[in-house]
Amino acid sequence: MSIEIRNINKFYGAAQALFDVSLSIRKGEFVTLLGPSGSGKTTLLKIIAGFEPVSSGSITMAGGDVTALPPEKRNFGLVFQGYALFPHMSVYDNIAYPLKVRRLARCEIGERVNAMLDLVQLGRFAKRRPSELSGGQQQRVALARALVFRPDLLLLDEPMSALDKKLRVDLQEELREIHRSLGTTFINVTHDQEEAMHMSDRIAVMNHGRIEQYDTSFDLYRRPRSRFVADFIGKSNIFSGSIFRQGEVCVFRSERIEIPLMEPLAAQGDAMIMIRPEDASIETAPPSDRRIHLPARVQHSTYSGDRVFYTLTLERGGSFIVYGRASSGIHADGEPVYATFMAEDCVVLGTAE
Amino acid sequence: MSRIIYWTSLALSLTFLILPLVLVLPLAFNGSSFLTYPMEGFTLRWFEVVFTQAPWVSAFLNSLMVALGAMVVAVVIGGLATTGTILSGRWGQLILSGLFVSPLIVPSVVIGVAFAYAFGRAGLGGGYVSLVLAHAILGAPLVFLSVMTSLKGLSTDLDRAATSMGASRFYRFRTVTLPLAAPGFLTGALFAFITSFDEVVVALFLASPQSTTLPIALFSGLRDRLEPTIVVVALLLSVLSLLFLFALNTLQRRSPSGAR
Repeated sequence: MSIEIRNINKFYGAAQALFDVSLSIRKGEFVTLLGPSGSGKTTLLKIIAGFEPVSSGSITMAGGDVTALPPEKRNFGLVFQGYALFPHMSVYDNIAYPLKVRRLARCEIGERVNAMLDLVQLGRFAKRRPSELSGGQQQRVALARALVFRPDLLLLDEPMSALDKKLRVDLQEELREIHRSLGTTFINVTHDQEEAMHMSDRIAVMNHGRIEQYDTSFDLYRRPRSRFVADFIGKSNIFSGSIFRQGEVCVFRSERIEIPLMEPLAAQGDAMIMIRPEDASIETAPPSDRRIHLPARVQHSTYSGDRVFYTLTLERGGSFIVYGRASSGIHADGEPVYATFMAEDCVVLGTAE
Repeated sequence: MSRIIYWTSLALSLTFLILPLVLVLPLAFNGSSFLTYPMEGFTLRWFEVVFTQAPWVSAFLNSLMVALGAMVVAVVIGGLATTGTILSGRWGQLILSGLFVSPLIVPSVVIGVAFAYAFGRAGLGGGYVSLVLAHAILGAPLVFLSVMTSLKGLSTDLDRAATSMGASRFYRFRTVTLPLAAPGFLTGALFAFITSFDEVVVALFLASPQSTTLPIALFSGLRDRLEPTIVVVALLLSVLSLLFLFALNTLQRRSPSGAR
């Protein structure tokens, strides 16, 4: 089902947790709410699930208003961080629970539960108690239980945060696969940007109760609109300065660098510019082409086999991070080098912050 | 320093709590019929008296019946009270909890007088029924408290999970909350039983000669015939209490992980 979230504000007493949040989710889409703790992502999820009332705003599903609908009438599946499996029931009974609530015939329940157990590859654990399973297995039971009644929407509240890294990656893969095969709309909440980027069609980056940017992983990474998004998603070099018009082109200028901009920007004045460390390179001599180069010294480096991560100190002050190829050896600390990059790879961030 | 404090307080509290018991218990095996030291020989005669003779055997059976009856009624009343309280709103919970716990706060003498008068008026005076009902009302708050405690320990996520799957309030309560609160019910039942089993004050007001309970028999024994039989009964009651404590302990350790 498509979901339309319009202008939601949420107050806890005098404190405001959500500021005019709007989000539109297409049918079958996998959307992640990403943000640091306290950004309001969990509050938003609870509101969508129906456990928290909104202070103002509305939620519509496939055209119908569900803002005031109690959670048990919404037909949304929910997967919790702590699994929330019923400890006194077997895996089978846990998954059968929502079907028993709906008074389905016994044979139909059996069929659906077994199909679900196959989907999450836990067929042989049907008779076990949840406490006899590992964390990853428990989370898969929780997933099966939240999907078995064919909900209109699946909500995942930091489902992986209690699992170790390896399991997390496996489960991400599995979740993506299940999403593809079922076509249900998924909304995931996480603070892990890697997880968000691996799984989601679109990501809503949240900060201080607001949605900073709602875009695909690609656009969030390549075209962040604010300093917060640029910082939160991946590593980046950010320069503050201002944009001037010089004849036909615009130029970004700060104390440290001057960069001619490709796009003829309308907005002049204070601005920030971002360059990703993998878009820059490290050279021992100034390049002969029109690349921008900044003289610097190696402050320190981290070698990870496939590449080297350098932190440089720019001659004009400030630091600069860059990935270097490791096949040609590693530059020593203190060595004079040039940080080089193309003007095209620079992204102008909003001036909001 | 802290070690010295630890050992001193431990020794003092042990002396205070255990010494009176330790001093009196050997008299259960006293050869003479007086409750005095030095003991004159060792005998199991008083055990035989307790297990065979009139006031003790019938009093024990009375106590057992009353306690079992009171336990059952207390679990039903306490369980229903908890159910109602949990299902009501925040203010309702506060007020109802206060009401249901109040029998613990009212002095037993007051309750005794009140029940004696009320049951007398209702024509129930002096029988088992009045004792069972009165003890059930004393035990119900204990059931209520222990069930409430085990319910409060349940993760709200379990209830939310059930909600998201479409279960109504009542269905969630019946299938998730109640089964997980079972250890609380058992603990409450044991408490209710033991409370009734050694309750004296209210029983004194309500019991007739036919429904004399063990504590009352002990009481009159103290007054009329100061014999080692009293100590024997006290010893047996202590052993019973110890067994109950042990049972409670095991129960609490076995409660399912979700109830924590």
